[in-house]
Amino acid sequence: MAWSQHLIIVPILLPMIAGAALLLIDETSHALKALVSLASTILLLVAGMVLMRMAADVPDGSEALSFSYAVANWPAPFAIVLVLDRLSALMLVLTAILGLAALTFSLARWHRAGPHFHSLFQFLLMGLGGAFLTGDLFNLFVFFEVTLAASYGLLLHGSGVFRVRSGLHYISINLAASLLFLVGVSLIYGVTGTLNMADLADRLPGLADDDRVLFQAGAAILGIAFLVKAAMWPLGFWLTPAYMAAAAPVGAIFVILTKVGVYVLLRLTLLLFGSPAGELTGFGGVALLWGGIATIVFATAGVLASQALGRLAGYSVLISAGTLLAAVGMGDASVVSGALFYLVSSTLSTAALFLLIELVERAREPGADLLAVTMEAYGEEGEESEEREDEEVGVVMPGALAVLGVAFGCIALLLAGMPPLSGFVAKFAMLTGMLNLDGMGDPSEIPGRTWLLVALVILSGLAALIAMMRTGIRTFWAPLQPVLPRVLVVEVAPILVLIGLCLAMTVGAGTIVSYTDATARSLHDPASYIRGVLGGSAPGQAPP
Amino acid sequence: MEFYALLLIIGLPFLAGMTAVLLPSDSRAPATWLAGLTTAACLASTIWLYPAVSSGGAVRHRIEWVPSLGLDFTLRMDGFAWIFTFLITGIGLLVVIYTRYYISPEDPVRRFYLFFLGFMGSMLGVVLSGNLILLVVFWELTSIFSFLLIGYWHHNQAARDGARMALTITAMGGLALLAGVLVVGHIVGSYDLEVVLASGDTIRDHPLYVTALLLILLGALTKSAQFPFHFWLPNAMAAPTPVSAFLHSATLVKAGVFLLARLWPVLSGTPEWFTILGLAGMASLVLGAYLAMFQQDLKGLLAYSTISHLGLITLLLSLGSPLAAVAAIFHMLNHATFKASLFMAAGIIDHEAGTRDLRRLSGLFRYMPITGTLVMVASAAMAGVPLLNGFLSKEMFFAEAIETHADSWVDTIAPYAAVLGSALAVTYSIRLIHSIFLGAPPPESFPREPHEPPFWMRFPVGFLVIACLVVGIFPGLTIGPFLHVAVSSVLGAETPEYSLAVWHGFTLALGMSVIALIAGTLLYLVAGDYLERSESAPIFGRIQGQRLFERATVAVSWRWARLIEEVLGTRRLQPQMRLLVAAAIAAGAIPVVASGLGFAGSVGEFDFAFAGLWCVGMVCAVAAAHQAKFHRLAALALLGGTGLVTCVTFVWLSAPDLAATQLVVEIVTTVLILLGLRWLPKRSESLVDPEGLAARMRRLRDLSLAVVAGVGMTALSYAVLVSAAPESIADFFVEKAYSEGGGRNVVNVILVDFRGFDTMGEITVLGIVAVTIFALLRRFRPAPDTIERPEQQRIQRSYDEADPDREAGATAAEYLYVPSVIMQWMFPVVIVLAAYLFLRGHDAPGGGFVAGVAMAAGFILQYMAAGTIWVEDRLRILPVLWIGGGLLIAALCGTASVLLGDPFLTSYFRYVDLPILGKMPLASATVFDLGVFTLVVGATVLILIAIAHQSIRRLRAARLEGGRQVEEQQQWS
Amino acid sequence: MELTLALAIGVLTGSGVWLVLRPRTYQLVIGLSLLSYAVNLFILSMGRLRGAAAPVLGADGNWNPADYADPLPQALVLTAIVIGFATTALLLVVLLVARGLTRSDHVDGRESR
Repeated sequence: MAWSQHLIIVPILLPMIAGAALLLIDETSHALKALVSLASTILLLVAGMVLMRMAADVPDGSEALSFSYAVANWPAPFAIVLVLDRLSALMLVLTAILGLAALTFSLARWHRAGPHFHSLFQFLLMGLGGAFLTGDLFNLFVFFEVTLAASYGLLLHGSGVFRVRSGLHYISINLAASLLFLVGVSLIYGVTGTLNMADLADRLPGLADDDRVLFQAGAAILGIAFLVKAAMWPLGFWLTPAYMAAAAPVGAIFVILTKVGVYVLLRLTLLLFGSPAGELTGFGGVALLWGGIATIVFATAGVLASQALGRLAGYSVLISAGTLLAAVGMGDASVVSGALFYLVSSTLSTAALFLLIELVERAREPGADLLAVTMEAYGEEGEESEEREDEEVGVVMPGALAVLGVAFGCIALLLAGMPPLSGFVAKFAMLTGMLNLDGMGDPSEIPGRTWLLVALVILSGLAALIAMMRTGIRTFWAPLQPVLPRVLVVEVAPILVLIGLCLAMTVGAGTIVSYTDATARSLHDPASYIRGVLGGSAPGQAPP
Repeated sequence: MEFYALLLIIGLPFLAGMTAVLLPSDSRAPATWLAGLTTAACLASTIWLYPAVSSGGAVRHRIEWVPSLGLDFTLRMDGFAWIFTFLITGIGLLVVIYTRYYISPEDPVRRFYLFFLGFMGSMLGVVLSGNLILLVVFWELTSIFSFLLIGYWHHNQAARDGARMALTITAMGGLALLAGVLVVGHIVGSYDLEVVLASGDTIRDHPLYVTALLLILLGALTKSAQFPFHFWLPNAMAAPTPVSAFLHSATLVKAGVFLLARLWPVLSGTPEWFTILGLAGMASLVLGAYLAMFQQDLKGLLAYSTISHLGLITLLLSLGSPLAAVAAIFHMLNHATFKASLFMAAGIIDHEAGTRDLRRLSGLFRYMPITGTLVMVASAAMAGVPLLNGFLSKEMFFAEAIETHADSWVDTIAPYAAVLGSALAVTYSIRLIHSIFLGAPPPESFPREPHEPPFWMRFPVGFLVIACLVVGIFPGLTIGPFLHVAVSSVLGAETPEYSLAVWHGFTLALGMSVIALIAGTLLYLVAGDYLERSESAPIFGRIQGQRLFERATVAVSWRWARLIEEVLGTRRLQPQMRLLVAAAIAAGAIPVVASGLGFAGSVGEFDFAFAGLWCVGMVCAVAAAHQAKFHRLAALALLGGTGLVTCVTFVWLSAPDLAATQLVVEIVTTVLILLGLRWLPKRSESLVDPEGLAARMRRLRDLSLAVVAGVGMTALSYAVLVSAAPESIADFFVEKAYSEGGGRNVVNVILVDFRGFDTMGEITVLGIVAVTIFALLRRFRPAPDTIERPEQQRIQRSYDEADPDREAGATAAEYLYVPSVIMQWMFPVVIVLAAYLFLRGHDAPGGGFVAGVAMAAGFILQYMAAGTIWVEDRLRILPVLWIGGGLLIAALCGTASVLLGDPFLTSYFRYVDLPILGKMPLASATVFDLGVFTLVVGATVLILIAIAHQSIRRLRAARLEGGRQVEEQQQWS
Repeated sequence: MELTLALAIGVLTGSGVWLVLRPRTYQLVIGLSLLSYAVNLFILSMGRLRGAAAPVLGADGNWNPADYADPLPQALVLTAIVIGFATTALLLVVLLVARGLTRSDHVDGRESR
């Protein structure tokens, strides 16, 4: 088979090998570990780009829009297949970018705060790659577990009361969710006799009534598992404490974790309950829509009520999760396209915020509210580990404060969805999609729930603006003699790069939107996916 | 050619702003030159563009941005846009000149010009946007830059608050505007300005018209500081005076009325438009003027008069008659000129006299006669005195106010409100002049001796004042043509006949002007002293807009938010678990309840032995659940019981591999928990749960949840068990396992070949967890109450110490002597067993995982027998390396096939005759399994040792009292 | 037989859920273990029950799927067991560490009310 085909396995294999190799390297040789880790992540990004090009090059409307890769060379649907299409490629690239940024940031000091940081990090990337690529339900479970296990390790990286306490919650809830995952998957297998997603979509229409009921139950239970990952209200309370407890770079990479849940929901709802499923059409859509709306409401309140920046960032993750879930719930192609743009934009900006927070904290005067939180986080009596964490890194850069201020302002605009950054374009794309489902000038009546969602999307942005402004003024304007923060270039650079990407997304919005449009269209044509996996017809062929 | 000029006008300010940042910090002069030249260039190209628009046409330039969403970077300049561009750049230039002398070298000039130019650019963008979404983009940018400019002196509280309030309100309006524009786009089917302007009737007749109107008006009125959103403007006066002069005369606040005029042809003429705008405008006109009278701060007075004048413009636009629109546009220009000059003059006075407080200022005329004269003329224009431009537009305003536009009370009271507003305007203008320049110099002298400012600082004021005069005297010759171009570009065909003469004969409008002038003067004569002394305005002064705003924001954005967060959220685990369980139950139940569940199908014969077995199992489970709180050991034993029953069940259901695996995992887990138990706090029956109704209800709720969950699972599994099996993909495995997988043990073939990918992920999980545990326990700190030696160790020890010829720990050693010897002998046996389990895996129950755990068990036996130190002296195993190695083996084995051109993890096999073992399948999958084996050994050992090891640090922990952080460097890693 | 197994799964789930909702970390661990038993049995039951079938393929040439227990759920359970073991171990250690840091074995690290 063609070499390019083998690229599909790279996003999983590369980090795995890197992670394993890193285990063999001695703990004390930080430089070497960092080098290996960095190299692997960069290669991952390159591979992602190439795969994206592969997926994008498939002409729209050709018979099959997805590449499938039969692992272990057994034919689908029997064994495991990896499936590459525009959506998975997009997620892969996003993951790689985020990974690179977080990793670079961690090189300042975090990667030394505990053993095997780099291995865990690579394994996390591996799990994400697998989750985005696999076309098999149980294999999806396995990669979810890989991702989660690595995330447990990273969350606890650096230890400390706050991390361990929130880690306990995070782990317990995810264990329970994983059990639900198993129940759901096995139930689905029990009634349909398959684990392959495409095959499943293929078999659904021919399901007997009793079996369909059981299948629905299974799918719903499975959905709960995903919704826990996606942190939908009221299943997402674990998120904020966990994310704010995690070390800055870890928090940054965690931003993509909730998106995994959203990704799977998007993929499966459109694949299984898209048009051809007959009786099952639109199954669960309403739940997603209203759940998403509830999430936005809760998270908006949370953002406003946040004293500490970390909590604010956590709730911003919730806002974006809720918005995406609601968009998936609406399900129309025009909305999904905007939602994908929003997904990328919000992920980048929230990750940047998580990184920025640590640097901003350094600029805080003693007695600033964040200090209170860190006290709570790291326990009252100073522990060695924490002293090690708070070791002063970096030098006082002239104008560092200005740079941080600008970065902070940009992120505030991104979260608020205000111009000129991509947050605005994303919000606009989603809203205009919601109001004009069949393209501009679509005369159809707009239902009340759409109005509600539109209003919430806008108001959540306003809330983010108010909260960020509050904190920003307190941090950068109020103090007469601001503490000059000690920062390293490797810490500032990733933040600026992420923001730069958002700026680029604004300028090149046209290109990206056309990509997401095509993605949304292909998602709404499950047949093309199924053909790509089962039909064996290579992508790019014209329809017969 | 034209559109390059357009691009230049929009782009240059931003570029220049960026450049300003790159200048050295102490570069006031270069920065000023940069800003000045930029503004001049923009002004020049604006003037150059005039011929293109004077003919009534429009210069358009469209760059594709997001075509599929109808968002394009379209620039469009018609007459109306042109006159605003001219105003912005022109006054901008004057302000720059003024700033040069106003701003002190200490201030960060680069930042100032960055924001200033940025603001000018975005304002020009608002004016020149040819696409409504683009207009919103620039609109929001003006909000952001004005925020930065108002907060320029952020070291003082007032500036911070003013900036925050301004941004909150204008941004809120901006978002509303965005929503409104989206609705308009939905109605029209395009965001392009020309398309929208062309489809006025469609919009007005559409059911969503009111929605769109309200949202857009919200945007415009907040921006133009119209009642009831007026209060942010006075607070914005904390900004440096040049900023105020620019923002509050020609630009920021004008954006609102600009938009209203821009969309006038599309939105106006409906009762909603008339009522809402009319009321807002009238209220702002009167209230603004009223409050202006009572201001003691000069800039405050000007701010309120700005509100009042913008109210006048809004009122004019609300009337919906073309003539009124003309008057509105005319007044926009006039107000910009005199108000800009007055603000700058205020800055001069502040600069020279050191205060802006009207009560402290007096008799300045003798110190600065020229400035004084200029201010008087400008104020006269503000008051609408004849021969000045303010008079002309006010005259038109009166004329329009009299006309009947719609028979509603709003329309009826309009003329009275107009006269009242102008009268008050006269009063505050007189007060401004009188209390600053006339009268005797104050008893206590000024902070510093006032004198005339440098010429170039006064120049902008003079220039504008002269403009007021010239326009006021020869309107037709000066402003006339430009105004006509602007008006006709807005009104198009409806452009009415109007004359810009100073003298229209004895009209009612003239009468009203006279009344207003006289009444205003009289009012000042009567109440002048009172105004001088008043602290705050009676009645309306009580209603502090910003107070209400602050209270509201705190309430909504803080108290309510916290409340909602608390009510809708939780940070405790149990509620979250409860919700999760409940959600899962609901998810499973809803479809079943919705469309029933059939248990029709074949039931196998009832097996009593099996039932009996499970009776035991269930009892164990329930008992474990009951005992887990107080009797941990018992609970663990019971759990083990359930586990064993599960094992037997696996055998029963012909799944030997599962049984084996379950068994070994069972053992290891139990050992693990046993090792862990030691660190948990003692608990006796004595401490009991909080009794009482609440607690009981909680338990009842949990119990019912548990029961329902159990019933649900039973129902689901039973339903599936009795239903007919579907056509399963598993058949493929059974058929191909031997012929193509090369193994008789289908399960094992699935694990290492068909679905080897799963196994790879699975062992990765195991490895990750092991590493995590290792990392965690390196930081382990036992709790104080657990650093004591376990009880029976203490007893043994005391026994040893009692007897002189026994060294400590001897008793324990004796107890363990026999078992330890046996266990040491067993070590090789275990290894052989593991090897056997491993090799037969492919054809019979067994395989890498089981073998690995068995091997690990062997190591653990050694630890248990001889103790950590003894073992680690003799065999040093490095589990982490085993883990890494195992993963690498598995991964590389998979990669090998890629090199051979097959997909990842493809396995190859053939049978070979090995001595002793006989005919063995030698599949590449075996290598993969070897990887599994290695990793499992490493991981299991690492986990077990990591916990077992904690007992060693107990001593050290005991030394560091209070259970503080323990020394790190353990040698066993 | 089916009924027995179904009931068993139900009871195990019930006890597990009850424990998972309790405030003590140890109860949490035991509860999750019980739940994973239940889930493993559930997965196995999804392949329908097949008593007294040959564990491995016979030497004779034709292998009829009907003669054997469904191997796929078994494979899934194996994976599930391993992952369950790993995560249980992790949870155990985390609760030990939490116990050490917070001095409490309450799931929230502090006694509620």
